[in-house]
Amino acid sequence: MYNNENYYLDLFQVTRPQLENLVAAGIKEGGSYSDLFFENTTYQDLLLRDGIVSSGGFHIDYGVGIRVLKGDRTGYAYSESTDAKSMSEAVKAAALIAASGPDRPLAPAESVLAPLRPSTAGDQGRLRQVKNRQGARSAGSIDAICPPVTKTAVDYYPFVSDWRTEEARVFVPFMERIQKEISARDNRVLKVIVSLSNQISDILMFNSLGELTYDTRPMGTIAASIVFTQDGKIENKTVSRSYRTGTEMLTETLLEEIVSEAVKGIDERFAARRPKGGKMSVVMGAGASGILLHEAMGHAFEADFNRKGQSIFSGRIGEKVCSEDISIVDDGTIPGNRGAVNFDDEGVPGQKTFMVRNGILESYLHDRISATHFGVSPTGNGRRESFRYAPIPRMRATYMLGGKATKEDIITSVKKGVYVDQFSNGQVQIGEGDFTFFVKSGFLIEDGKLTMPVKDINIIGNGPQALADITMVGNDPKVDEGAWTCGKGQSCPVSCGIPTVLVNNLTVGGE
Amino acid sequence: MEEITGMLSENEIRTAELCLEKALELGAEKVRVTLNKSLMELFGILNGELDKVNHCLDRSLSVCLFVDGKYGTFSTNRLVENELDNFLRKSVATVRMLAEDPCRDLPDSGRTAKNALTGKELGLYDPSYPALTSDERLKMALDASIFKKHEAEGLISEEGEYSDSIFDTFLLDSNGLRCRHIETSFEYGVEMTVKDPEGNRFSGYWWDSTPRLAELKIGDCGETAFQRAMAQIDPRKVPSGKYTLVVDSENSSRLVTPLTSALGAFALQQKNSFLLDSLGKKVFPEWLDLIDMPHAKGQTGSRLFDSEGVATKETPVIEKGIVKEYFVNTYMSNKMGIAPTVEDVTRPVIPPCVSPELVKPENMDRQAIMDLVKDGILVTGFNGGNSNSATGDFSFGVEGFLFKDGRVVHPVREMLITGNLLTLWNNLLAAGDDARMCKSKVIPTLAFMDVDFSA
Repeated sequence: MYNNENYYLDLFQVTRPQLENLVAAGIKEGGSYSDLFFENTTYQDLLLRDGIVSSGGFHIDYGVGIRVLKGDRTGYAYSESTDAKSMSEAVKAAALIAASGPDRPLAPAESVLAPLRPSTAGDQGRLRQVKNRQGARSAGSIDAICPPVTKTAVDYYPFVSDWRTEEARVFVPFMERIQKEISARDNRVLKVIVSLSNQISDILMFNSLGELTYDTRPMGTIAASIVFTQDGKIENKTVSRSYRTGTEMLTETLLEEIVSEAVKGIDERFAARRPKGGKMSVVMGAGASGILLHEAMGHAFEADFNRKGQSIFSGRIGEKVCSEDISIVDDGTIPGNRGAVNFDDEGVPGQKTFMVRNGILESYLHDRISATHFGVSPTGNGRRESFRYAPIPRMRATYMLGGKATKEDIITSVKKGVYVDQFSNGQVQIGEGDFTFFVKSGFLIEDGKLTMPVKDINIIGNGPQALADITMVGNDPKVDEGAWTCGKGQSCPVSCGIPTVLVNNLTVGGE
Repeated sequence: MEEITGMLSENEIRTAELCLEKALELGAEKVRVTLNKSLMELFGILNGELDKVNHCLDRSLSVCLFVDGKYGTFSTNRLVENELDNFLRKSVATVRMLAEDPCRDLPDSGRTAKNALTGKELGLYDPSYPALTSDERLKMALDASIFKKHEAEGLISEEGEYSDSIFDTFLLDSNGLRCRHIETSFEYGVEMTVKDPEGNRFSGYWWDSTPRLAELKIGDCGETAFQRAMAQIDPRKVPSGKYTLVVDSENSSRLVTPLTSALGAFALQQKNSFLLDSLGKKVFPEWLDLIDMPHAKGQTGSRLFDSEGVATKETPVIEKGIVKEYFVNTYMSNKMGIAPTVEDVTRPVIPPCVSPELVKPENMDRQAIMDLVKDGILVTGFNGGNSNSATGDFSFGVEGFLFKDGRVVHPVREMLITGNLLTLWNNLLAAGDDARMCKSKVIPTLAFMDVDFSA
């Protein structure tokens, strides 16, 4: 971020007294809290198709979101202009919530949102960088070292080179090299599409507690989609990497990672078949298998669902739900990670939240509304897609800490099951707890050995049951660096991770 | 001439025209400008009480530039004169950094829409919209709540949202194209969560949407959502195996979207389509028709033009099982050397049909189709899953009900269906006449035989 309040005030053409007047107007009608979220985002994209970068562009999004709360009710409006008249009209629209109906008291009886309090000691963590890239931050493996709590946010995504200052032509050779390298390494490559997108968002937040925060959030994403052909058959594969960083992410190391992953496992993909479906043991490979945590429990731990009594985990804080070897966190503090937040979108500092510690449910993921409802501190999970949306509890980087077993021990222990390691998407039903994720590739496990490759199967389970059914946890924790996006009425960049784990009794799709 | 009362002001339309002129001045050979403006009002109700109010006013200007044989797309919501000037200058400069691509072009004037002058030709604008007040909106949202009525029956959460919106788009290009689309929309959706005596939660959702407020069936949604949630209590497992699959009309479009995507030129040109080289060939059962019907007056999803301004028209996409249409925009037409059509299906419709072994009943609603096929699994919700665009292999999570002799036996969940989309569609037994008109994909209840279920 730019450590200069005036940079942000000037950008949005506002003054601090003006901000104070706006939030005051927001609560004048009877609101208990009001806040402002200014955003200036520049998004750029380039697309290589059929060997040339022949399309691209940039997109500008600018505006301010204004929220007025009355108890736990939300009034929200936004303006695409920050002139005084437009913002004043938006405040009036948002304040409609305060003028509508009787107050609905919060439980416990705390009708005004409290200022931020330092989180419980131990809620913060830091990344141990295990893999250095030239100038780029890498979310490799995670340990559980807990630094002192500070109210002032650390910069989890300092960047060297702002995407906005570089011309599109600088990136074209990098994209062309990816295409050429992929084509050169496998003669089955039929088509390659390479996309490079980046965005920088300048954010300014102010609330009726007098808290002013600001942030500048970079994001770079590169993806390659490849179509292969062999003996008249067609297969496809997509590889992506995404980081909160500047143009320095485009390194030789990154190029090699993308190219080598793009052509890896293609023999298996053409040989893969559908397994016989049914209940079986599933070994989740380290990294992207963290989608299990995101779907099986992460969403159900978002506190808005629990505030409304909709989640299958409602009212279960403090219960033992799985092996004491299991700890699951949601973390906004991994440097350069897609899910990192210096501040969330309510101005709460980024932090690391244990959802499950040693098998016991410890914390929901809170925004300010739910934190006040439950009488706890917000956890820095109040996020939004843009100024057009009110913030709601959302995940950041959700992962499981490492255990003791080796990957080989885990696979060897399975008589019949599947090993899965690449995924495309997942989903969950909050009330029932039923979750699914779609497997792009994996292997059958027969008598402790990986045998027939499998692909394109959905796996379904139930959140609490799946957690209870995790019987082995590997010593190879890894956070995936792909371009994961979570949809919950609005999109948010997230990431996920897990060590190799064994889950008994998931239902695997098959023929 | 009819007065146009959309969202866009004369000044805003003039701004779009000035942008086009300015881009040409800056060196663009051809330009397309699209100006969108929309307003949405939303009232959310939680358990019978107001929970949230949203007021969303959006405006964006998109510019497609063709400069020195190169192409780029740009957009901004900063419609201030001096900022627009900088925006266009930077846009033109950016395009010049890209590679030449002779396939990029505006659509030929002969293909573009000539009949979208006022934006209201399709009857999608409700004249009563401007007079609607916040109090009236709030009252509709509150009146729709049935939380108190069912609270004692295990209902633990009712989350309903009333919203209405107006959307106005104006599209122009340097070939002289000018077209406009104005649409209002009124919607109510509600999610009910119920708890059984053991504390297990089950949820049900229902919604309605229409371009005209008077046609919104807001009062039916709560009861339907509540009954859908209650019906799921006490689910049981059924053995894995092959079953007849019936998908209700709320969910059936999920099985159609992969077909229309596979017929799109972007997938075909990349060879990333399981319907490659299918044009003119019979790859589906001869009793299946799929028609694009974009000109249905007053119906959700209707449009006179696509995003290039190309005129839409009623077109058979699949006729008697034969693929009759690819979706090909101007760029892909030039790239593939085939005739352009429209860039995507607009409002797909599947008419009622049955396979020759079955006798078509008079009514073709969901129950009639269950009676027709007798035994199987009725799917009333999808839970995740995906399909492989290159092979058509799919695997979806599903929930619904086991039925025998056309009658529901018990709910099922945590199940998966797995197969190949071409095989699935060739096993089509019947398509109903009960498509939900609130959806832009007009797909009725569908029945397929011999589908692999895993449980």
